[in-house]
Amino acid sequence: MRIVLARVSLIPPQLFGVLLVTFMLVRLLPGDPALLMLGNMATPDAIASLRQRLGLDQGLWTQFVRYLGRVLHGDLGTSIFTSHPVVQDLIERAPATLELISYAMIVTVTAGVGLAVLSVIARGRSFDYVTRVYGLAAGALPDFWVGLLLIFFLYHVAGWAPAPFGRLDTYLTAPRAITGFYTLDSLLTGNWADLGSAAARLVLPVATISIVNTGAMMKMTQTVFAGVYDSAFIRHARASGLPQRRIIVIALKNSLPPIITTAGFLFGFLLGAAVLVETIFSWGGLGQYAVQAVINSDYPALQGFVMVAAVFVLLVYLVVDVLYELVDPRIRI
Amino acid sequence: MAGEDRSTTLEVDHLGIAFGAGAAEHAVLRDVTFRLGRNEILGIVGETGAGKSVLAQALVGLLPGDGRVVQGEIRVNGRPLAAMNERDRRQLRGGAISLIGTSAKTLLDPVETVGRQIARVLRAHRPCGRRAAWRQTVQLLGDVGIIDSEQRARAYPHELSGGMAQRVVIAMALIARPDIILADDATLGLDATVQVQVLDLLVARSRERGVSVILITHDLGIVAHYCDRVAIMRAGRIEELQAVQGFLAQPGTAYSESLLGAARARPVPADHLSTATQRLGDAGEAVAPRGETLLVVENLQKLFAAGAAQPPLRAVDGVSFSLARGETLALVGESGSGKTTIGQCLLRLLTATAGGMRFDGIDIAALTERQFRPLRQRMQMVFQEPYVALNPRWRVCDLISEPLRLLEPVSRRDRQARVNELLDLVQLPRRLAEAYPHQLTAGEQKRIGIARALATRPDFVVFDEPTTALDIRVRAQIIDLIRSLQVRTGLSALFITHDLNSVRSLAHNVIVLNRGQIVERGETETIFARPQHAYTRLLLTAELPIEWSASRRSGTPVPVLTAERGASARR
Amino acid sequence: MRRCLARPAAVIGLALLALLAVAIVFADLLAPYSPIMADPLHSLESPSSLHLLGTDVSGMDVLSRIIFATRINLLVGIVSVAGAFLVGVPIGLLTGFYRGFVSALVMRLFDFIQSFPVFVLGMALVSVLGQEIWNVALVLAVLFVPLFARLVRAEVLSLRERPFISAARCSGASDLAVMVRHLLPNALTPALVQLSISVGMAILLTAGLSFIGAGVRMPTPEWGLMVSSGAQQMILGVWWVSLFPGIAIVIAVLCFALLGDEMRRLLDPTRHRR
Repeated sequence: MRIVLARVSLIPPQLFGVLLVTFMLVRLLPGDPALLMLGNMATPDAIASLRQRLGLDQGLWTQFVRYLGRVLHGDLGTSIFTSHPVVQDLIERAPATLELISYAMIVTVTAGVGLAVLSVIARGRSFDYVTRVYGLAAGALPDFWVGLLLIFFLYHVAGWAPAPFGRLDTYLTAPRAITGFYTLDSLLTGNWADLGSAAARLVLPVATISIVNTGAMMKMTQTVFAGVYDSAFIRHARASGLPQRRIIVIALKNSLPPIITTAGFLFGFLLGAAVLVETIFSWGGLGQYAVQAVINSDYPALQGFVMVAAVFVLLVYLVVDVLYELVDPRIRI
Repeated sequence: MAGEDRSTTLEVDHLGIAFGAGAAEHAVLRDVTFRLGRNEILGIVGETGAGKSVLAQALVGLLPGDGRVVQGEIRVNGRPLAAMNERDRRQLRGGAISLIGTSAKTLLDPVETVGRQIARVLRAHRPCGRRAAWRQTVQLLGDVGIIDSEQRARAYPHELSGGMAQRVVIAMALIARPDIILADDATLGLDATVQVQVLDLLVARSRERGVSVILITHDLGIVAHYCDRVAIMRAGRIEELQAVQGFLAQPGTAYSESLLGAARARPVPADHLSTATQRLGDAGEAVAPRGETLLVVENLQKLFAAGAAQPPLRAVDGVSFSLARGETLALVGESGSGKTTIGQCLLRLLTATAGGMRFDGIDIAALTERQFRPLRQRMQMVFQEPYVALNPRWRVCDLISEPLRLLEPVSRRDRQARVNELLDLVQLPRRLAEAYPHQLTAGEQKRIGIARALATRPDFVVFDEPTTALDIRVRAQIIDLIRSLQVRTGLSALFITHDLNSVRSLAHNVIVLNRGQIVERGETETIFARPQHAYTRLLLTAELPIEWSASRRSGTPVPVLTAERGASARR
Repeated sequence: MRRCLARPAAVIGLALLALLAVAIVFADLLAPYSPIMADPLHSLESPSSLHLLGTDVSGMDVLSRIIFATRINLLVGIVSVAGAFLVGVPIGLLTGFYRGFVSALVMRLFDFIQSFPVFVLGMALVSVLGQEIWNVALVLAVLFVPLFARLVRAEVLSLRERPFISAARCSGASDLAVMVRHLLPNALTPALVQLSISVGMAILLTAGLSFIGAGVRMPTPEWGLMVSSGAQQMILGVWWVSLFPGIAIVIAVLCFALLGDEMRRLLDPTRHRR
């Protein structure tokens, strides 16, 4: 518990850092931010008023303090592209992305750890060899390309997968928002048509992310698990006559700390992957929003997205640290 | 020996084990035959690579990699191992034969309490409820000498000292009531006093329960004190197998004889000191008057921070001594006594917290690193672990010539010549100059370490545990080498060790350290003959020299050392 | 040579590297068409003897573009990673060796940079700096610096406690000598392995950035951009525009991953046998 508190106390300075980075991000813009933010069609009056509103005529620190103040009041500016407040845009789109990467995360970690354990136990046999080739190849696959191939083969050629446009078939209306996850909400409200459609739409994007990232997860787990599996205490457990299943459980328990760390890192990384995958599947989440922001030079939106991503990662790492403490008695106080 | 009668529990018949397939096949064990009687203690002795550990692994049916039985068979209680299925073998391991390995801490699951680890072994072999298993575990932990066993059973391995962990592993081996315990170098790396306690305990519990024990070791002292019979292994064969008393009195082979010879202490010749000074004079160097003081240490203190809330650890606590030219002084103590820390402070690898150190009249405690550097050519150190003290990416010639940079720049040829000279000095073939450290044996690595330390012809050398972790004969060779260096170069040396046997062979004077403080000092012979302090006596009782008969030690129980419960494993 | 053939991964890696090198050096000779010349009359033609890998929306020859893109993709990957290596390794060595306030501060900063998802930060930085190929390289270099610094630092931290460092000090090695002669050669192994793997990662990131429009712009031949240009048609069954550049990416990344594995083996100090 004390570790949790110690860890939580680190959050404010880290948040401060995040805000500093997002603030500096826009300062990096070559030329006049006001002009860039408003685009070429802006009138001189509009530029002048934005300059004043952004406080560009004042010192850098004053500007930063004002920025901090606005962010703390929940004001991330207005998106140039959608004309909505950025906060509102982000809140609307976050569940789509979270649902996507949560499922992808579950599949990736389960498959990665499972394959790793099996391959270590089957060491030297053909299964081990196959996983090694897969591990190497998966690291070389661009996720956007894999997504396109899946669409081509499973949607266009085979016709098994639903159309790669959005989270739900077009003739359906979204379930009442409770968690924002279509699958959960439709389950909770008993809307089976929505559930089926939402689940089917999830298959390809989740598969895309998982195929690409399971390799890395698997390789990492293989290294850790193999190290534990060959360690003296596992050999001793075997010499003590413990059954094989028990030994695998013991080895896995001992491999958990690094696996948890990797999984945490992966969760953050998937947010980046979502940017590409959402674009391909017109997912309508944060990732696609970010891409639109990039294409349209919508800097407030981009700034907001980067901030959300960083905060998300901070939260994930917090959870990782707490879990880490739970599984490893050596770091308990 | 007894045949197929009920008094025999383990039979090994013409056992051959090989690794590798096809052309790469090589035999590791050949024609190994022996019987183990019920409640008998058999010692198996051999040097590194003799095949002892492979034998142990074969006996529990867990050969690593592609190792396999190519000849003969193993029978446990009359049942051949080869005829058992996987399930029977699992029941055999821990159920009929338990294995205890080296360094107990690494044998325990770090994320599970020790009590549950023991209980889990019991439940794997005997139908037994969770609660009953726990009760038996706690009781057995008490039996193996763990105080507060109920509470200690809930500890994680990292909360235990090495000796405690070893007791836990013994409990784990005993819990399912096996017929045989295989102890494979089980006490390696433990302090001598702890080693004796653990072995006493293992033997006592085994005798009580009628368990047969195989003690696999490279230490003939252990064999002499605990075993009924001894088997000498060499290159995968059993060279000799006979009762211990007979073996000690009259070894059957030349190899056994050489092992026994190497294990015996070699007292320092009385005229050694004078010879040393004599030779120094002959070499045309400054003739030091006998007994001139070279090094003075006054009230040396070194504290280590132990965490915010705790008082600092007093690793070295007010130690004073002096060393004369040509003298070899031994610092003796167990792990945590501060002996290595003193050596590191002297060579400024650690900064002393307080106290004075004068080398040849120079106050070295006051010098900056830059000012101290020229003195390094006169003060050198031979490091404890031979391999890790050598940069793995450097060749031997570079390693040996590195300290020469401390001297005047010399030509390549001169340096080459000096490297060869040093290789000769430590009795290594010159061709090794091109080798990398991992290509050398432990003994050769040790010699390279010594050659490095001698490269600048120093006045003073610190030898940090020069004989630990070496095979008996290699250890004897290193001792002989250091002795010859003492004589030939008139070296002044500080000899840091826990190996009393080597102290007797090398040092003129001894200082006994306990927890950072000096408890006793004096001439080597006096200390060994008439130890004054209780701690010194304790250290001496824990020693297992082969000269002492087992009878002399039996009946003198080793008192439980309080230091052992103090968990600190810092050296 | 026979020892080499016994290691198929190394052989494949080297063969792929040779393939990439040929594409870079002889692009002008190998490419049948100009990589940037649009030909609206022949847009979206499927692979044929005229256009071996077909044409894209603007009628540009896919094969020619793939060949020319090798230059850009590999150059960006290698330059950015090399830059990050040259900056990151000394930082890692120094912060590992001198553990003071400044070291702690630098490491905090790196922690912080690394806490952003790479792709997100890369995307934001490139779009702010301007979508130019050299900005992509610069941003990737900045993102990779912490990676190398941390790898080297972690090694230095564990190595500096090893007895051979104490032994070197006893032999009179100065701080500089300890760092350069003892620590660096031993600490470099993981960074060198990572060097090769990172080039692959940089290629993937570059392609990804271009794919979403945050990298280079048309008509520059670049693999990610080419996949992107065919993305819309994929659903309609026009597969060749996106498929082939994707394969090129896989080949390049795989090549550097294989070479990285091989590097790990070559750099093992216990490789020499007696």
